[in-house]
Amino acid sequence: MLLLEGFSTALQPVYLLYALGGVFVGTAVGVLPGIGPAMTVALLMPITYALDPAAALIVFAGIYYGGMYGGSTTSILLNTPGESSSIVTALEGNKMAKAGRGAAALATAAIGSFIAGTIATVLLTFLAPVVADFAVGLGPVDYVALMVVAFLTVGALLGASVLRGLASLALGLFIGLIGIDDSTAQQRFTFDNPTLVDGVDMVLVAVGLFALGEALYVASKLRHGPVELIPVSKGKNAWLSKEDWKRSWKPWLRGTFIGFPIGTVPAGGADVSTFLSYAAERKLAKGANKAQFGKGAIEGVAGPEAANNAAAAGVLVPLLTLGIPTTATAAMMLTAFQRYQIQPGPLLFENQGALVWTLIASLYVGNLMLLVLNLPLVGLWVKILQIPRPYLYAGILVFAALGAFSVNFSPSDVGILLVVGILGYFMRRYGYPVAPMVVAMILGPMFEVQLRRSLQLSQNDPTALFSSPFALVVYVSMALIFAASWWLRRRQAAVEAAPVREQVSV
Amino acid sequence: MSSLVSESPPVATPAKRPTGEILFALVFVSVGVAGLVTAGSIPIPPSETGIGPRAFPYIVCGMLVLCGAGVVLQVLRGKVGQAEDSEDLDVTAKTDWVALAKLVGFVVLHIFLIEPAGWPVAAAVLFSGAAWSLDAKPLWKVITVSVVLALVLQYVFGGLLGVSLPPGPLLEGVAFFHG
Repeated sequence: MLLLEGFSTALQPVYLLYALGGVFVGTAVGVLPGIGPAMTVALLMPITYALDPAAALIVFAGIYYGGMYGGSTTSILLNTPGESSSIVTALEGNKMAKAGRGAAALATAAIGSFIAGTIATVLLTFLAPVVADFAVGLGPVDYVALMVVAFLTVGALLGASVLRGLASLALGLFIGLIGIDDSTAQQRFTFDNPTLVDGVDMVLVAVGLFALGEALYVASKLRHGPVELIPVSKGKNAWLSKEDWKRSWKPWLRGTFIGFPIGTVPAGGADVSTFLSYAAERKLAKGANKAQFGKGAIEGVAGPEAANNAAAAGVLVPLLTLGIPTTATAAMMLTAFQRYQIQPGPLLFENQGALVWTLIASLYVGNLMLLVLNLPLVGLWVKILQIPRPYLYAGILVFAALGAFSVNFSPSDVGILLVVGILGYFMRRYGYPVAPMVVAMILGPMFEVQLRRSLQLSQNDPTALFSSPFALVVYVSMALIFAASWWLRRRQAAVEAAPVREQVSV
Repeated sequence: MSSLVSESPPVATPAKRPTGEILFALVFVSVGVAGLVTAGSIPIPPSETGIGPRAFPYIVCGMLVLCGAGVVLQVLRGKVGQAEDSEDLDVTAKTDWVALAKLVGFVVLHIFLIEPAGWPVAAAVLFSGAAWSLDAKPLWKVITVSVVLALVLQYVFGGLLGVSLPPGPLLEGVAFFHG
């Protein structure tokens, strides 16, 4: 019933327009090469500054899904797949495009994303209130356990180097410490500098790391010359054939049910789920279809794309009900919410029920719009991909500077942006993942509050941190996740090595 | 087979001498050390009964020192970091420090132009400077694009979306550039 109320807000013509705008801008920015979903949300934050909370949330729902989908368009059409988040789609999608089946690859990605997104949003609708009810009973000790898991999975599991991931995490925690201590109101690491007393704004760090850092990094080794695009063939054969539908629908569903659960637990979000889905499809394919893997198998696009979108909805479960972001994109969403004084957590559904249900309703709407927009607009996305690179990266710089300036309308914030951007450049250059830093910066202060609260309740007895059954369960599952990831990592290395070998030996 | 595999696309070449990488890891160590030193001077209110405002800074800074030192050790043992990949990246190219310095310079210029000259001027300078640094040609086209882009952004953000970007002395009188 509450969802219906949400729909009645989200379906007002003005809000529908906002949703359309959000999906459109999100996809357009997400399509740009080098811009992942987290950077899309970070860069587009200023466009919502003047909107009312409901409209802003609706726009963000659109940007969130649009940014996800935009990335996969890039990896299918551009000759040089790069971003790790869409690398799995690139494996088969890029080959399909080269074989003249680009339109079919885009279509199976779009329809798969829609189906997975819709099913996952339904699951979110039913699961989130249940989790929120349960989460009301959680104490500080339980939150400490959940956040430890989130830190370790984001920091240690996701990058190529565990130590560099943890270093990035620690740096994020450190930046989170700058400013006034929540519990005692003492200044920490401000060095009596008035701009640091309020802490470093999350938007500056995120835009600096994602946008400025990436632009500087690409500029330092820019690929010169024309942009190599794979042409999208038109005509009857290009569209999904009956055979394609038959081969796609099972991977769509499997991808959904792989992606959603992985998104809900703090185990790495979209990346892990796309890989798992790809591995599953590869294993389940039979005969001639199996032989196509590595040369453009449609299952290898349909499954991971569905998993990606389902995981994106799954990530919203811990974000909305516990207030814990488990991916960099979710951290950006949380930052956006906080600007509107919306504090995600177990009480969100009670305190701001109308807003949350509007958000969830607009996820349904955004998803549908994504499908309606994307298939006819492929030509436009291709045009966007062809923007000459000097203009593209100059534009990213201007947008990053705009975003930083409009946080407080202070030029010195653009200075902080530049410092963080240079840091982001060197982190990329030397193989430090930036996502842990962003997640740590936002989770760190929350973690400290809960940790100190738990210790205060137990008169500083650290064993109390393991006293609650829920926390114990969490720690044990964390051990299991680490064991599983060790196994997965070995599998992933094997799968990633395989297609290269096949391609070369042909 | 192995001879065929070696023909696969070139991977990111790690820096020949890992000096830069070691220096960067030492940045983490020195931030951690500086933090450990200054954390001792964070005042603790007398009413505090828990672990206080210093404990978490000590943990975080200790972690920074350990991770930074760990990376230094790894690099010295030959395990260098794997540079990130991206769509527009030529992994075999040498780092273009000149372009980087120009970009950083134009951002700095932008910062100092926002208030005296107004946001649209500062943005146009940043855009044309950055595009020029990245070899966009011809120059007149770069400048035209940047002026149009700056005015459109000022109109959309300052005028339509109500983000108060200072229009600057040149455009002060034009109403639709304000919210």
